[in-house]
Amino acid sequence: MTNIISIKDVYYKYPGSEVYAINGISLDIQKNQWLSIVGKNGSGKTTLTRLIDGLEESESGSIAIDGVISDEQTIWEARKKIGIVFQNPDHQFVGATVEDDVAFGLENQGMPREQMVESVDRALAMVDMQDYKKRDPQSLSGGQKQRVAIAGVLAIQPQIIIMDESTSMLDPDGRKTVINLIEELRSKQDLTVISITHDIEETQLSDRIIVLNSGKVVKDTTPAELYNLRGQLQEYGLEEPFTNLVAENLTDVIDFKGYIDEKGLIDQLCKLNSNT
Amino acid sequence: MQIEFKHVTHSYESNNPMSGLGLADVSCTINSGKFTAIVGKTGSGKSTLVRHINALLKPTSGEILVGERKITSETNNKNLKPLRKNVGMVFQFPESQLFEDTVEKDIMFGPQNFGVPEKDAKEAAQEMIDVVGLGSEYLQKSPFDLSGGQMRRVAIAGVLASDPETIILDEPTAGLDPVGRKEIMDLFKEQQKNGKTIILITHNMDDVANYADEMMVMHDSQIVASGTPKAVFNDQELLDKNYLTLPQSAIFAQKLQAKNFHFDQLPITISELTTEIKQQIHGD
Repeated sequence: MTNIISIKDVYYKYPGSEVYAINGISLDIQKNQWLSIVGKNGSGKTTLTRLIDGLEESESGSIAIDGVISDEQTIWEARKKIGIVFQNPDHQFVGATVEDDVAFGLENQGMPREQMVESVDRALAMVDMQDYKKRDPQSLSGGQKQRVAIAGVLAIQPQIIIMDESTSMLDPDGRKTVINLIEELRSKQDLTVISITHDIEETQLSDRIIVLNSGKVVKDTTPAELYNLRGQLQEYGLEEPFTNLVAENLTDVIDFKGYIDEKGLIDQLCKLNSNT
Repeated sequence: MQIEFKHVTHSYESNNPMSGLGLADVSCTINSGKFTAIVGKTGSGKSTLVRHINALLKPTSGEILVGERKITSETNNKNLKPLRKNVGMVFQFPESQLFEDTVEKDIMFGPQNFGVPEKDAKEAAQEMIDVVGLGSEYLQKSPFDLSGGQMRRVAIAGVLASDPETIILDEPTAGLDPVGRKEIMDLFKEQQKNGKTIILITHNMDDVANYADEMMVMHDSQIVASGTPKAVFNDQELLDKNYLTLPQSAIFAQKLQAKNFHFDQLPITISELTTEIKQQIHGD
């Protein structure tokens, strides 16, 4: 598997701060992977993605995007490969219409007008928002706004999408639409997805999950392995999956040791219920 | 303090024809001392509704009674301080409202603005920084050196410091990690036990099930249902119309129901769910 992002011994502290926000991180992220980054508020999740996108410069260590080590010269090329969708959809709109907004990133890249129109239409079609292209972004629902924000990111045809808590402001329906869309795009467009999230259900869909704590990677594992940790989860600012919490209250009737997924739990319970 | 909406309509004066009515003939009562949750999709009118309670917005027609105080379209902006002292509001991302150079000054700003002497405001800051779980060593720090979760707590302390009778929370836990979210929700439940009226806007149905005494569902600028969470989450018509999503325990119960379990009423919390499951497995 090719590494689309390769991080080696990266240290970073914010200007004026004494503590390292990123305290020695090495991490390889494979192409087409869906990686969840979890951890408490303040553990370094957003800082790490800002370093990847070159919005902050590391104090030492190196970050390579698609095989090229980022520095002052190469970062501009690297950045074209990365799209970030932020938490609050209201903070990322600049255009007066949906299509202007999606075109913004392309204008920045100096794309010719005709080609731009085509790219915008294609990106809006991918998120199924083509019927809204003349609308004012502010008149859309939260889920629709995030889909437009994602279209803006897709228009620049990135290889990596970073979702920085992009579903946390959405209602349950909006959240579902966005997650389904990302999964679909990942398989069709061969995208690598990095998702910062507190949402357990969202992490359960990912291939790999890393836990950050005080600027360090303290776990690098799969969702099923992570949710086996039970009591330790709280230290990482995570909650236990719903199924674990249910099973915990039923230990006198079912067999429950570590992580139990929904299907496993339902099967066990239904079997017990048919025996009586 | 009881809050009553009587035929309240609010129309946004806007050039955008898509906006239009924020509230359409809303009547409801929010009971004193209760924890009331307001749910509904983005854009359904939840924030518009609560902004009428402290007269940040005024009705186009109809009236709102907040205790003895009446708010109508005629209400002018003078003399709103007593009302706003009594109705504290924590907005989404309250940390964006911090502006002083120390945490202490930020917390003191609210009470002092309402005429509390400096000495008492200082005491209130001391007390509230503990209530929100930060400790007095934070008082002299700059709010901008804190993490997002800590800034959120400072902003909440600032609202509590004015000792409002009613506390309105507009998605106060968005973006917090799960452990932080639970701590903040427990904090508000504690405030209710101390006699306050809590009004919570949220998308998190588990928080509704675990914390609220009463709930209201909004859709298209109207209140389409209200009652106890148990009754509302069991209203099949609301679910059919997709006005409402369910807490995880109820969704899980539906899945068991599709197999060989039977629930007269959907359980809405984990303890209700597991109690029911055990009863059915033991066959009594």
